Amino acid sequence: MDFDFNSLLAFIIFGITIGVVYGIVALGISLIYSGLDIVHFAHGEIYMFGAFIGLFLSQELGVPYPFAIIGAMIFAALLGMGIERVFYRRLTQAGGGYTVAGMGMIICGFGMSVALMNVAFLIWGAGAEPFPVNLGMPLQLGDISIPQSYVLTAVVSMLLMVVLNYFIRHTKLGLAVRAVAHNKDIAYLMGINVPLVISLIFGLGCALAAAAGVLIGPMQSVQVEMGYLMLMKAFAAAVVGGFGSLPGALIGGILVGIFENLGAAYISPSHKDIYAFLLLILVLIFRPSGLFGVIAKVKA
Amino acid sequence: MLKIKEVHAGYGRLKILRGINLSVSQGTIVALLGGNGTGKSTLLKTISGLLPVMEGSIEFDKKVITDSKPHHIVRSGLVQVTQSKEAYPAMTVEENLMVGAFTRSDKAEIKYDLEGIYSFFPALKDRRNMLSGTLSGGEVQMLVTGRGLMAKPKMLMLDEPSAALAPKVVLEIFANIYKISQTGVTILVVEQNVRMALLLAQYAYIIRDGRIMIEGKSEELINDPAIKEFFLGGTVTDTSKKLNA
Repeated sequence: MDFDFNSLLAFIIFGITIGVVYGIVALGISLIYSGLDIVHFAHGEIYMFGAFIGLFLSQELGVPYPFAIIGAMIFAALLGMGIERVFYRRLTQAGGGYTVAGMGMIICGFGMSVALMNVAFLIWGAGAEPFPVNLGMPLQLGDISIPQSYVLTAVVSMLLMVVLNYFIRHTKLGLAVRAVAHNKDIAYLMGINVPLVISLIFGLGCALAAAAGVLIGPMQSVQVEMGYLMLMKAFAAAVVGGFGSLPGALIGGILVGIFENLGAAYISPSHKDIYAFLLLILVLIFRPSGLFGVIAKVKA
Repeated sequence: MLKIKEVHAGYGRLKILRGINLSVSQGTIVALLGGNGTGKSTLLKTISGLLPVMEGSIEFDKKVITDSKPHHIVRSGLVQVTQSKEAYPAMTVEENLMVGAFTRSDKAEIKYDLEGIYSFFPALKDRRNMLSGTLSGGEVQMLVTGRGLMAKPKMLMLDEPSAALAPKVVLEIFANIYKISQTGVTILVVEQNVRMALLLAQYAYIIRDGRIMIEGKSEELINDPAIKEFFLGGTVTDTSKKLNA
Protein backbone atom coordinates (compact mmCIF):
# COMPACT_ATOMS: atom_id res chain seq x y z
CA MET A 1 0.00 0.00 0.00
CA ASP A 2 1.32 3.40 -0.93
CA PHE A 3 1.76 5.56 2.13
CA ASP A 4 0.22 8.95 1.50
CA PHE A 5 2.96 11.34 2.53
CA ASN A 6 1.01 14.30 1.29
CA SER A 7 -1.81 13.58 3.69
CA LEU A 8 0.63 13.08 6.52
CA LEU A 9 2.25 16.39 5.74
CA ALA A 10 -1.13 18.07 5.56
CA PHE A 11 -2.14 16.66 8.94
CA ILE A 12 1.12 17.77 10.47
CA ILE A 13 0.76 21.27 9.04
CA PHE A 14 -2.81 21.55 10.29
CA GLY A 15 -1.67 20.11 13.59
CA ILE A 16 1.02 22.74 13.93
CA THR A 17 -1.42 25.52 13.08
CA ILE A 18 -4.04 24.52 15.61
CA GLY A 19 -1.23 23.62 17.98
CA VAL A 20 0.15 27.12 17.85
CA VAL A 21 -3.25 28.42 18.94
CA TYR A 22 -3.26 25.97 21.85
CA GLY A 23 0.25 27.21 22.53
CA ILE A 24 -0.86 30.83 22.72
CA VAL A 25 -3.58 30.02 25.24
CA ALA A 26 -1.15 27.80 27.15
CA LEU A 27 1.33 30.67 27.09
CA GLY A 28 -1.26 32.89 28.74
CA ILE A 29 -1.88 30.25 31.41
CA SER A 30 1.84 29.78 32.09
CA LEU A 31 2.43 33.52 32.14
CA ILE A 32 -0.33 34.06 34.67
CA TYR A 33 1.00 31.16 36.73
CA SER A 34 4.49 32.66 36.63
CA GLY A 35 3.34 36.04 37.72
CA LEU A 36 0.51 35.37 40.11
CA ASP A 37 1.19 31.83 41.36
CA ILE A 38 -2.33 30.84 40.40
CA VAL A 39 -3.94 28.67 37.76
CA HIS A 40 -6.62 30.83 36.18
CA PHE A 41 -9.59 28.58 35.56
CA ALA A 42 -11.60 31.25 33.81
CA HIS A 43 -8.97 31.54 31.07
CA GLY A 44 -11.09 29.59 28.60
CA GLU A 45 -13.89 32.13 29.03
CA ILE A 46 -11.53 35.00 28.28
CA TYR A 47 -10.64 33.14 25.08
CA MET A 48 -14.36 32.79 24.32
CA PHE A 49 -15.01 36.47 25.01
CA GLY A 50 -12.11 37.33 22.73
CA ALA A 51 -13.70 35.32 19.95
CA PHE A 52 -17.09 36.99 20.40
CA ILE A 53 -15.62 40.48 20.56
CA GLY A 54 -13.59 39.73 17.46
CA LEU A 55 -16.74 38.50 15.77
CA PHE A 56 -18.63 41.59 16.85
CA LEU A 57 -15.92 43.95 15.63
CA SER A 58 -15.61 42.13 12.35
CA GLN A 59 -19.27 41.50 11.57
CA GLU A 60 -21.19 44.32 13.25
CA LEU A 61 -18.67 47.11 12.92
CA GLY A 62 -16.97 45.97 9.75
CA VAL A 63 -13.53 46.20 11.25
CA PRO A 64 -10.88 44.47 9.11
CA TYR A 65 -9.86 41.10 10.52
CA PRO A 66 -6.33 41.98 11.72
CA PHE A 67 -7.68 44.96 13.60
CA ALA A 68 -10.46 42.83 15.06
CA ILE A 69 -7.71 40.67 16.55
CA ILE A 70 -6.00 43.70 18.08
CA GLY A 71 -9.30 45.12 19.29
CA ALA A 72 -10.26 41.86 20.96
CA MET A 73 -6.83 41.67 22.61
CA ILE A 74 -7.16 45.17 24.05
CA PHE A 75 -10.68 44.50 25.27
CA ALA A 76 -9.69 41.22 26.89
CA ALA A 77 -6.65 42.81 28.54
CA LEU A 78 -8.82 45.50 30.08
CA LEU A 79 -11.50 43.00 31.08
CA GLY A 80 -8.87 40.76 32.63
CA MET A 81 -7.16 43.59 34.49
CA GLY A 82 -10.53 44.71 35.79
CA ILE A 83 -11.41 41.23 37.02
CA GLU A 84 -8.01 40.88 38.67
CA ARG A 85 -8.30 44.19 40.44
CA VAL A 86 -11.87 43.68 41.66
CA PHE A 87 -12.09 39.96 42.37
CA TYR A 88 -8.68 38.35 42.51
CA ARG A 89 -6.34 40.85 44.10
CA ARG A 90 -7.26 40.21 47.73
CA LEU A 91 -6.83 36.49 47.24
CA THR A 92 -3.58 36.66 45.30
CA GLN A 93 -2.01 39.03 47.78
CA ALA A 94 -2.93 36.76 50.67
CA GLY A 95 -0.86 33.97 49.20
CA GLY A 96 -0.76 31.56 46.32
CA GLY A 97 -0.11 27.93 45.58
CA TYR A 98 -0.97 25.71 48.49
CA THR A 99 -2.16 28.31 50.93
CA VAL A 100 -5.80 28.65 51.87
CA ALA A 101 -6.00 31.76 49.72
CA GLY A 102 -4.43 29.89 46.83
CA MET A 103 -7.07 27.19 47.05
CA GLY A 104 -9.67 29.91 47.29
CA MET A 105 -8.28 31.33 44.08
CA ILE A 106 -8.98 28.07 42.26
CA ILE A 107 -12.61 28.09 43.38
CA CYS A 108 -12.86 31.75 42.49
CA GLY A 109 -11.58 30.93 39.00
CA PHE A 110 -14.25 28.32 38.51
CA GLY A 111 -16.88 30.75 39.72
CA MET A 112 -15.64 33.44 37.38
CA SER A 113 -15.72 30.90 34.55
CA VAL A 114 -19.40 30.18 35.20
CA ALA A 115 -20.17 33.87 35.62
CA LEU A 116 -18.47 34.85 32.39
CA MET A 117 -20.13 32.05 30.48
CA ASN A 118 -23.54 33.18 31.68
CA VAL A 119 -22.84 36.81 30.87
CA ALA A 120 -21.87 35.72 27.37
CA PHE A 121 -25.02 33.64 27.15
CA LEU A 122 -27.13 36.65 28.10
CA ILE A 123 -25.44 38.79 25.48
CA TRP A 124 -25.06 36.41 22.58
CA GLY A 125 -27.34 33.46 23.24
CA ALA A 126 -26.52 29.78 23.05
CA GLY A 127 -26.15 29.37 19.30
CA ALA A 128 -22.99 28.60 17.40
CA GLU A 129 -22.11 31.62 15.32
CA PRO A 130 -20.06 31.24 12.19
CA PHE A 131 -17.15 33.61 11.77
CA PRO A 132 -16.90 34.26 8.06
CA VAL A 133 -13.76 36.03 6.98
CA ASN A 134 -12.88 36.48 3.37
CA LEU A 135 -9.17 35.94 3.16
CA GLY A 136 -8.84 34.75 -0.41
CA MET A 137 -8.11 31.43 -2.03
CA PRO A 138 -6.40 28.64 -0.14
CA LEU A 139 -2.64 28.48 -0.36
CA GLN A 140 -1.31 25.70 -2.57
CA LEU A 141 1.74 23.86 -1.25
CA GLY A 142 2.33 21.17 -3.83
CA ASP A 143 -0.69 18.89 -3.54
CA ILE A 144 -1.82 20.32 -0.22
CA SER A 145 -4.42 23.02 -0.01
CA ILE A 146 -4.13 25.21 3.08
CA PRO A 147 -6.98 27.59 3.91
CA GLN A 148 -5.87 31.18 4.28
CA SER A 149 -7.17 31.29 7.83
CA TYR A 150 -4.59 28.66 8.76
CA VAL A 151 -1.82 30.63 7.12
CA LEU A 152 -2.89 33.82 8.85
CA THR A 153 -3.06 32.01 12.17
CA ALA A 154 0.47 30.75 11.76
CA VAL A 155 1.77 34.16 10.73
CA VAL A 156 -0.04 36.09 13.47
CA SER A 157 1.06 33.58 16.11
CA MET A 158 4.68 33.85 15.04
CA LEU A 159 4.39 37.61 15.19
CA LEU A 160 2.91 37.49 18.69
CA MET A 161 5.71 35.20 19.83
CA VAL A 162 8.40 37.48 18.44
CA VAL A 163 6.85 40.59 19.97
CA LEU A 164 6.32 38.91 23.33
CA ASN A 165 9.85 37.56 23.38
CA TYR A 166 11.31 40.96 22.52
CA PHE A 167 9.20 42.57 25.22
CA ILE A 168 10.23 40.11 27.92
CA ARG A 169 13.92 39.97 27.06
CA HIS A 170 14.75 43.47 25.85
CA THR A 171 12.54 46.02 27.53
CA LYS A 172 12.71 47.48 31.01
CA LEU A 173 9.11 46.50 31.73
CA GLY A 174 9.86 42.98 30.51
CA LEU A 175 12.72 42.86 33.00
CA ALA A 176 10.27 43.87 35.71
CA VAL A 177 7.92 41.07 34.62
CA ARG A 178 10.75 38.54 34.89
CA ALA A 179 11.73 39.91 38.29
CA VAL A 180 8.17 39.76 39.64
CA ALA A 181 7.64 36.27 38.23
CA HIS A 182 10.74 35.06 40.06
CA ASN A 183 10.25 36.62 43.47
CA LYS A 184 7.78 39.33 44.39
CA ASP A 185 9.51 40.51 47.57
CA ILE A 186 12.84 41.10 45.90
CA ALA A 187 11.12 42.79 42.99
CA TYR A 188 9.60 45.20 45.53
CA LEU A 189 13.08 45.83 46.93
CA MET A 190 14.25 46.82 43.45
CA GLY A 191 11.68 49.58 43.48
CA ILE A 192 9.30 47.78 41.13
CA ASN A 193 5.58 48.52 41.57
CA VAL A 194 4.69 44.88 41.98
CA PRO A 195 0.86 45.09 42.03
CA LEU A 196 0.95 47.10 38.81
CA VAL A 197 3.24 44.62 37.08
CA ILE A 198 1.04 41.74 38.26
CA SER A 199 -1.98 43.46 36.69
CA LEU A 200 -0.01 43.87 33.50
CA ILE A 201 1.03 40.22 33.43
CA PHE A 202 -2.57 39.19 33.88
CA GLY A 203 -3.71 41.56 31.14
CA LEU A 204 -1.05 40.16 28.84
CA GLY A 205 -2.17 36.58 29.48
CA CYS A 206 -5.77 37.53 28.76
CA ALA A 207 -4.81 39.38 25.57
CA LEU A 208 -3.09 36.23 24.32
CA ALA A 209 -6.18 34.15 25.04
CA ALA A 210 -8.35 36.62 23.15
CA ALA A 211 -6.01 36.57 20.15
CA ALA A 212 -6.31 32.79 20.08
CA GLY A 213 -10.09 33.10 20.16
CA VAL A 214 -10.24 35.44 17.21
CA LEU A 215 -7.77 33.27 15.27
CA ILE A 216 -9.79 30.11 15.85
CA GLY A 217 -13.07 31.81 14.98
CA PRO A 218 -12.92 31.35 11.20
CA MET A 219 -11.71 27.75 11.58
CA GLN A 220 -14.58 26.65 13.81
CA SER A 221 -17.68 28.40 15.03
CA VAL A 222 -17.95 30.79 17.92
CA GLN A 223 -20.13 29.73 20.81
CA VAL A 224 -20.47 30.27 24.50
CA GLU A 225 -19.16 26.83 25.52
CA MET A 226 -16.00 26.94 23.41
CA GLY A 227 -13.86 27.98 26.34
CA TYR A 228 -14.21 24.79 28.34
CA LEU A 229 -12.54 22.39 25.95
CA MET A 230 -9.89 24.93 24.97
CA LEU A 231 -8.94 25.44 28.61
CA MET A 232 -8.52 21.69 29.09
CA LYS A 233 -6.38 21.29 25.99
CA ALA A 234 -4.31 24.39 26.63
CA PHE A 235 -3.76 23.25 30.18
CA ALA A 236 -2.63 19.87 28.85
CA ALA A 237 -0.33 21.67 26.43
CA ALA A 238 1.15 23.74 29.24
CA VAL A 239 1.80 20.64 31.33
CA VAL A 240 3.29 18.74 28.38
CA GLY A 241 5.70 21.58 27.73
CA GLY A 242 6.46 22.12 31.37
CA PHE A 243 4.13 24.20 33.48
CA GLY A 244 5.42 27.72 33.99
CA SER A 245 7.83 27.57 31.08
CA LEU A 246 6.99 29.99 28.28
CA PRO A 247 8.75 28.24 25.39
CA GLY A 248 7.40 24.98 26.80
CA ALA A 249 3.83 26.23 26.50
CA LEU A 250 4.28 26.89 22.80
CA ILE A 251 6.06 23.61 22.07
CA GLY A 252 3.51 21.75 24.17
CA GLY A 253 0.71 23.32 22.18
CA ILE A 254 2.24 22.34 18.88
CA LEU A 255 2.78 18.78 20.08
CA VAL A 256 -0.83 18.53 21.25
CA GLY A 257 -2.03 19.88 17.91
CA ILE A 258 0.03 17.44 15.88
CA PHE A 259 -0.81 14.49 18.12
CA GLU A 260 -4.48 15.36 17.97
CA ASN A 261 -4.58 15.63 14.19
CA LEU A 262 -2.58 12.48 13.62
CA GLY A 263 -4.77 10.59 16.08
CA ALA A 264 -7.93 11.80 14.40
CA ALA A 265 -6.55 10.94 10.97
CA TYR A 266 -5.05 7.53 11.61
CA ILE A 267 -6.83 6.15 14.65
CA SER A 268 -10.33 7.51 14.98
CA PRO A 269 -11.78 10.89 14.04
CA SER A 270 -14.81 10.60 16.27
CA HIS A 271 -12.70 10.73 19.39
CA LYS A 272 -10.67 13.70 18.33
CA ASP A 273 -10.78 15.47 21.65
CA ILE A 274 -9.31 12.53 23.53
CA TYR A 275 -5.84 12.66 22.00
CA ALA A 276 -4.76 15.80 23.77
CA PHE A 277 -5.39 14.13 27.10
CA LEU A 278 -3.83 10.88 25.97
CA LEU A 279 -0.64 12.80 25.29
CA LEU A 280 -0.98 14.49 28.66
CA ILE A 281 -1.23 11.13 30.43
CA LEU A 282 1.78 9.77 28.53
CA VAL A 283 3.89 12.79 29.43
CA LEU A 284 2.82 12.65 33.05
CA ILE A 285 3.84 9.01 33.22
CA PHE A 286 7.23 9.33 31.54
CA ARG A 287 8.26 12.91 32.21
CA PRO A 288 5.99 14.50 34.77
CA SER A 289 7.75 17.84 34.86
CA GLY A 290 7.08 18.30 31.17
CA LEU A 291 9.55 18.83 28.36
CA PHE A 292 10.99 22.12 29.56
CA GLY A 293 9.69 21.59 33.05
CA VAL A 294 10.90 23.89 35.73
CA ILE A 295 10.86 22.05 39.00
CA ALA A 296 11.53 24.73 41.56
CA LYS A 297 10.49 28.35 41.50
CA VAL A 298 12.64 29.43 38.59
CA LYS A 299 10.21 30.92 36.12
CA ALA A 300 9.98 33.13 33.08
CA MET B 1 19.04 59.29 58.75
CA LEU B 2 16.95 56.38 59.94
CA LYS B 3 14.87 56.54 63.12
CA ILE B 4 12.91 53.58 64.40
CA LYS B 5 10.66 54.34 67.37
CA GLU B 6 8.93 51.73 69.50
CA VAL B 7 8.25 49.49 66.55
CA HIS B 8 6.25 46.31 66.98
CA ALA B 9 5.95 44.02 63.98
CA GLY B 10 5.61 40.43 62.93
CA TYR B 11 3.91 37.96 60.64
CA GLY B 12 0.13 37.98 60.75
CA ARG B 13 -0.74 37.46 64.40
CA LEU B 14 2.76 36.41 65.38
CA LYS B 15 4.52 39.38 66.93
CA ILE B 16 8.29 39.18 66.55
CA LEU B 17 9.51 42.69 67.26
CA ARG B 18 8.54 44.15 70.60
CA GLY B 19 9.27 47.84 70.87
CA ILE B 20 12.43 48.38 68.83
CA ASN B 21 14.23 51.69 69.16
CA LEU B 22 17.09 52.14 66.76
CA SER B 23 18.65 55.01 64.88
CA VAL B 24 21.37 55.38 62.31
CA SER B 25 23.10 58.72 61.83
CA GLN B 26 23.96 59.88 58.37
CA GLY B 27 27.28 58.70 57.00
CA THR B 28 27.88 56.16 59.76
CA ILE B 29 28.01 52.38 59.86
CA VAL B 30 25.69 50.80 62.41
CA ALA B 31 25.52 47.08 63.17
CA LEU B 32 22.54 45.08 64.34
CA LEU B 33 23.73 41.89 65.96
CA GLY B 34 21.95 38.80 67.09
CA GLY B 35 21.67 35.07 66.66
CA ASN B 36 19.16 33.13 64.56
CA GLY B 37 15.51 33.85 65.09
CA THR B 38 16.10 37.02 67.06
CA GLY B 39 14.22 39.30 64.71
CA LYS B 40 16.99 40.82 62.59
CA SER B 41 15.54 39.88 59.20
CA THR B 42 12.05 40.72 60.42
CA LEU B 43 13.23 44.21 61.30
CA LEU B 44 14.79 44.71 57.87
CA LYS B 45 11.62 43.51 56.16
CA THR B 46 9.56 45.89 58.31
CA ILE B 47 11.81 48.85 57.55
CA SER B 48 11.65 48.03 53.84
CA GLY B 49 7.88 47.91 53.93
CA LEU B 50 7.49 44.22 53.18
CA LEU B 51 5.90 43.69 56.58
CA PRO B 52 3.36 46.06 58.14
CA VAL B 53 4.28 48.05 61.23
CA MET B 54 1.89 47.05 64.01
CA GLU B 55 2.88 49.82 66.40
CA GLY B 56 5.45 52.59 66.37
CA SER B 57 6.95 54.66 63.61
CA ILE B 58 9.81 54.66 61.15
CA GLU B 59 11.37 57.80 59.76
CA PHE B 60 13.88 57.99 56.94
CA ASP B 61 15.64 61.13 55.78
CA LYS B 62 13.19 63.17 57.88
CA LYS B 63 10.17 61.61 56.17
CA VAL B 64 7.76 59.18 57.80
CA ILE B 65 7.84 55.85 55.98
CA THR B 66 5.87 53.76 58.48
CA ASP B 67 3.05 52.96 56.06
CA SER B 68 4.87 53.44 52.78
CA LYS B 69 4.84 50.83 50.05
CA PRO B 70 8.13 48.98 49.51
CA HIS B 71 8.81 50.37 46.05
CA HIS B 72 8.31 53.93 47.31
CA ILE B 73 10.74 53.35 50.15
CA VAL B 74 13.36 52.17 47.66
CA ARG B 75 12.71 55.22 45.52
CA SER B 76 13.31 57.49 48.50
CA GLY B 77 16.86 56.12 48.75
CA LEU B 78 16.64 53.35 51.36
CA VAL B 79 17.85 50.14 49.73
CA GLN B 80 18.14 46.68 51.21
CA VAL B 81 20.69 44.14 50.08
CA THR B 82 19.13 40.77 50.75
CA GLN B 83 20.95 37.58 51.61
CA SER B 84 23.23 36.22 48.89
CA LYS B 85 21.02 33.51 47.55
CA GLU B 86 18.50 36.03 46.30
CA ALA B 87 20.08 37.14 43.06
CA TYR B 88 18.10 36.27 39.92
CA PRO B 89 19.71 33.00 38.83
CA ALA B 90 18.13 33.00 35.39
CA MET B 91 19.48 36.44 34.55
CA THR B 92 23.01 37.45 33.69
CA VAL B 93 25.21 39.43 36.07
CA GLU B 94 24.62 42.56 34.04
CA GLU B 95 20.85 42.05 33.94
CA ASN B 96 20.81 41.63 37.71
CA LEU B 97 22.68 44.91 38.13
CA MET B 98 20.30 46.63 35.71
CA VAL B 99 17.31 45.47 37.76
CA GLY B 100 18.91 47.29 40.67
CA ALA B 101 18.81 50.50 38.64
CA PHE B 102 15.12 50.02 37.90
CA THR B 103 13.99 53.17 39.68
CA ARG B 104 16.37 55.34 37.67
CA SER B 105 15.87 56.79 34.24
CA ASP B 106 19.13 58.63 33.65
CA LYS B 107 20.61 56.25 31.06
CA ALA B 108 24.04 57.85 30.77
CA GLU B 109 24.54 57.97 34.52
CA ILE B 110 23.34 54.39 34.92
CA LYS B 111 25.98 53.28 32.42
CA TYR B 112 28.59 55.30 34.27
CA ASP B 113 27.60 53.75 37.60
CA LEU B 114 27.60 50.28 36.04
CA GLU B 115 31.23 50.75 34.99
CA GLY B 116 31.92 52.03 38.47
CA ILE B 117 30.50 48.87 40.01
CA TYR B 118 32.64 46.81 37.65
CA SER B 119 35.83 48.59 38.65
CA PHE B 120 34.84 48.17 42.28
CA PHE B 121 34.13 44.45 41.82
CA PRO B 122 36.42 43.25 38.99
CA ALA B 123 35.24 39.65 39.36
CA LEU B 124 31.77 40.78 38.30
CA LYS B 125 33.14 42.46 35.20
CA ASP B 126 34.72 39.21 34.09
CA ARG B 127 31.37 37.50 34.45
CA ARG B 128 29.07 40.22 33.23
CA ASN B 129 27.29 38.05 30.67
CA MET B 130 27.19 34.87 32.68
CA LEU B 131 24.05 33.66 34.39
CA SER B 132 24.20 34.62 38.04
CA GLY B 133 23.23 31.10 39.03
CA THR B 134 26.75 30.02 38.06
CA LEU B 135 28.57 32.37 40.45
CA SER B 136 30.31 31.37 43.65
CA GLY B 137 28.96 32.47 47.04
CA GLY B 138 31.34 35.38 47.40
CA GLU B 139 30.65 36.56 43.85
CA VAL B 140 26.88 36.45 44.42
CA GLN B 141 27.32 38.56 47.55
CA MET B 142 29.27 41.08 45.48
CA LEU B 143 26.53 40.96 42.87
CA VAL B 144 23.66 41.68 45.24
CA THR B 145 25.67 44.42 46.94
CA GLY B 146 26.44 45.92 43.54
CA ARG B 147 22.78 45.59 42.62
CA GLY B 148 21.85 47.56 45.71
CA LEU B 149 24.38 50.26 44.85
CA MET B 150 22.96 50.59 41.33
CA ALA B 151 19.90 52.19 42.91
CA LYS B 152 22.15 55.06 44.03
CA PRO B 153 21.03 54.72 47.63
CA LYS B 154 21.38 57.25 50.42
CA MET B 155 21.38 54.35 52.83
CA LEU B 156 22.13 50.68 52.35
CA MET B 157 20.91 47.93 54.65
CA LEU B 158 22.82 44.66 54.35
CA ASP B 159 21.28 41.39 55.55
CA GLU B 160 24.02 39.07 56.84
CA PRO B 161 26.61 39.74 54.13
CA SER B 162 28.99 37.23 55.71
CA ALA B 163 26.52 34.34 55.69
CA ALA B 164 27.84 31.07 54.29
CA LEU B 165 31.11 32.60 53.14
CA ALA B 166 34.72 31.64 53.84
CA PRO B 167 36.52 33.88 56.37
CA LYS B 168 38.89 35.30 53.78
CA VAL B 169 35.97 36.24 51.55
CA VAL B 170 34.18 37.79 54.52
CA LEU B 171 37.17 40.03 55.12
CA GLU B 172 37.04 41.16 51.51
CA ILE B 173 33.30 41.82 51.67
CA PHE B 174 33.61 43.88 54.84
CA ALA B 175 36.51 45.86 53.38
CA ASN B 176 34.23 46.64 50.44
CA ILE B 177 31.41 47.74 52.74
CA TYR B 178 33.86 50.08 54.46
CA LYS B 179 34.87 51.52 51.08
CA ILE B 180 31.21 52.05 50.19
CA SER B 181 30.68 53.85 53.46
CA GLN B 182 33.56 56.15 52.57
CA THR B 183 31.64 57.34 49.52
CA GLY B 184 28.97 58.79 51.78
CA VAL B 185 26.41 56.01 51.86
CA THR B 186 24.92 55.39 55.32
CA ILE B 187 25.14 51.74 56.28
CA LEU B 188 23.13 49.42 58.50
CA VAL B 189 24.61 45.96 58.57
CA VAL B 190 22.76 43.07 60.15
CA GLU B 191 25.09 40.31 61.21
CA GLN B 192 25.71 37.19 63.20
CA ASN B 193 29.46 37.57 62.85
CA VAL B 194 29.87 39.79 65.90
CA ARG B 195 33.63 40.30 65.78
CA MET B 196 33.75 41.44 62.14
CA ALA B 197 30.69 43.63 62.54
CA LEU B 198 32.07 45.40 65.63
CA LEU B 199 35.35 46.05 63.81
CA LEU B 200 33.48 47.56 60.89
CA ALA B 201 30.73 49.55 62.58
CA GLN B 202 30.94 52.64 64.78
CA TYR B 203 27.79 51.85 66.74
CA ALA B 204 25.97 48.61 67.41
CA TYR B 205 22.70 47.24 68.72
CA ILE B 206 22.27 43.75 70.09
CA ILE B 207 18.86 42.19 69.52
CA ARG B 208 17.38 39.17 71.24
CA ASP B 209 13.82 37.85 71.32
CA GLY B 210 12.63 40.82 69.32
CA ARG B 211 14.03 43.38 71.75
CA ILE B 212 17.16 45.51 71.80
CA MET B 213 19.18 44.23 74.75
CA ILE B 214 22.29 46.41 74.54
CA GLU B 215 23.51 49.26 72.40
CA GLY B 216 26.61 51.35 72.29
CA LYS B 217 29.77 52.44 70.54
CA SER B 218 31.48 49.41 69.10
CA GLU B 219 34.84 50.12 70.72
CA GLU B 220 33.09 49.99 74.08
CA LEU B 221 31.00 46.94 73.27
CA ILE B 222 34.01 45.03 72.06
CA ASN B 223 35.45 45.14 75.56
CA ASP B 224 32.13 44.79 77.36
CA PRO B 225 32.22 41.61 79.44
CA ALA B 226 28.49 41.08 79.01
CA ILE B 227 28.91 40.95 75.22
CA LYS B 228 31.90 38.69 75.47
CA GLU B 229 29.96 36.26 77.54
CA PHE B 230 26.79 36.62 75.56
CA PHE B 231 28.23 35.93 72.15
CA LEU B 232 31.76 34.87 72.36
CA GLY B 233 32.05 32.87 75.54
CA GLY B 234 35.41 34.50 76.19
CA THR B 235 37.58 37.38 75.08
CA VAL B 236 37.86 39.11 71.75
CA THR B 237 41.47 38.99 70.66
CA ASP B 238 43.29 41.41 68.43
CA THR B 239 40.96 44.39 68.87
CA SER B 240 43.61 46.68 67.48
CA LYS B 241 43.08 45.33 63.99
CA LYS B 242 41.44 48.00 61.84
CA LEU B 243 39.93 47.67 58.41
CA ASN B 244 41.89 49.86 56.05
CA ALA B 245 40.56 50.32 52.57
